[in-house]
Amino acid sequence: LSICSRTVEPLEYYRRFLKENCRPDGRELGEFRTTTVNIGKCLCSITTADGSALVKLGNTTVICGVKAELAAPAVDSANKGYIVPNVELPSLCAERFRSGPPGEEAQAASQFIADVIENSQMIVKEDLCIANGKLAWVLYCDIICLDYDGNLLDASVFALLAALKNVQLPLVTINEETGLSEVNLKQKNPLIIRKHPVATSFAIFDDTLLIVDPTAEEEDLATGTVTIVTDEEGRLCSVHKPGGSPLTGAKLQDCITRAITRHKEVKKLIDKVIKSITPK
Amino acid sequence: MPLDHRRLCGPEESQPPALWAGTAAEDDEDEEGTGAAPRDPCALRPLFARAGLLSQAQGSAYVELGSGTKVLCAAWGPREAAEPGPGRLLCEFRRAPFAGRGARGRPGAVAEREAEREAAAALREALEPAVRLGRYPRARLAVSALLLQDGGSALAAAVSAAALALADAGVEMYDLAVGCALCRPPAPAASWMLQPAEPEERRAAARLTLALLPALNQVSAVLGGGRGGPPEDWAQALRLGLDGCHRQYPVLRQSLLRASQRRDAAAAA
Repeated sequence: LSICSRTVEPLEYYRRFLKENCRPDGRELGEFRTTTVNIGKCLCSITTADGSALVKLGNTTVICGVKAELAAPAVDSANKGYIVPNVELPSLCAERFRSGPPGEEAQAASQFIADVIENSQMIVKEDLCIANGKLAWVLYCDIICLDYDGNLLDASVFALLAALKNVQLPLVTINEETGLSEVNLKQKNPLIIRKHPVATSFAIFDDTLLIVDPTAEEEDLATGTVTIVTDEEGRLCSVHKPGGSPLTGAKLQDCITRAITRHKEVKKLIDKVIKSITPK
Repeated sequence: MPLDHRRLCGPEESQPPALWAGTAAEDDEDEEGTGAAPRDPCALRPLFARAGLLSQAQGSAYVELGSGTKVLCAAWGPREAAEPGPGRLLCEFRRAPFAGRGARGRPGAVAEREAEREAAAALREALEPAVRLGRYPRARLAVSALLLQDGGSALAAAVSAAALALADAGVEMYDLAVGCALCRPPAPAASWMLQPAEPEERRAAARLTLALLPALNQVSAVLGGGRGGPPEDWAQALRLGLDGCHRQYPVLRQSLLRASQRRDAAAAA
């Protein structure tokens, strides 16, 4: 009988677990790792940012800081503000990331987050406009991965949502006579978040098996990945399947169902955390 | 500003709302500065240090100062280097874009990169005497620091965190390098203060950052400048800084001890 070790033949090692419908760390195929989130006023909040959140999915740790600034809207969309997501994978999160400008994975993740914001209409850009053609809010959402153990996209979307829920924007009015803007830092309003998208990632093994919430090791061994983003009404916002092995329609439907269940779990968690920090 | 093709771009220019808050905010700040009792210049802020918290790096440390400075650092043990010769220590220092209190730092901007490179060079200067590089010929040791929030004394906190991370990674060291920052406010007869907070650092006339190897009582780096007064003042500032480093040393050692105990417990379980 062959004894295969985790380092010598990782794929065989994994297959033996998958045959029993479980994974080396003890999880079921459809089970998520322990998710914890710290928002704003709790520990590890970033007081220099307007909104911040720290999300841990197992070992994967992602921190999101949102800074709001003022700018003139673009000429062709005078009534829209800006949301600029930026995912950074610094060299400290995993050995394979080099220091320097963002690599492929970081760029792809940033674009994914931008698409999620746009497709789910989480924040409507018209809401960010203060005065048509003159002044609008810019929300810089910086998502930094502190520890990369797989499933970056889920954690990033979650961290972004949590941080945005925590953002308080000061009231800005434009003085009619002078045309200058006046900012009232004392009076702050929370951001209007219309939809709450949640991402669920799956890894495809051997073209057939789907496992949820892959760790870094599983992502390396997988033959493909799928990320499904749903909102609170059970509607599909986006399906991200960058190549990899093909999926049948039925399997995709399973993924979507699992994603909808996951959305409810995440929403409950966020609501619980927000309720625990709002002053009574 | 040249277009950064690797990042999503927002508007060309944007200003933080605090700029437009006008005189109201400035009055508040001045009131805070003068109304509050002048702080004890030798008072050290509470320090929190924890080692061994990242799963992907060989060694890691998180240091948080009472003023709000948060630094996370990861270290990797010896890896093969292409060039022959003694071991090399490669340091990297990054600021998160949301770390500063005012405008958001632009990650790709030249000014940011220059500042990061300077800080990385300072970090290397402070850590090299502490590491036994002679034991790692033809190898490179990598240290990467990330500043999550800048509340003053950022470089000093980064030095402490980096030394902790290297020790946590199992790299052989002579001693932990402990960092301490000082600053001198612009008032004419003001004295040097330990571990300034961010507003104090911004208004300071002179700044100093020290790195000390406490058990050997050797200074590994002194960085700073400004209008500090006669040389005796600077000597006194150095002594104050050294004292501050000695006082922080037990906390850092405790955190290392706890991290190794945790690791042993996890391995045994």
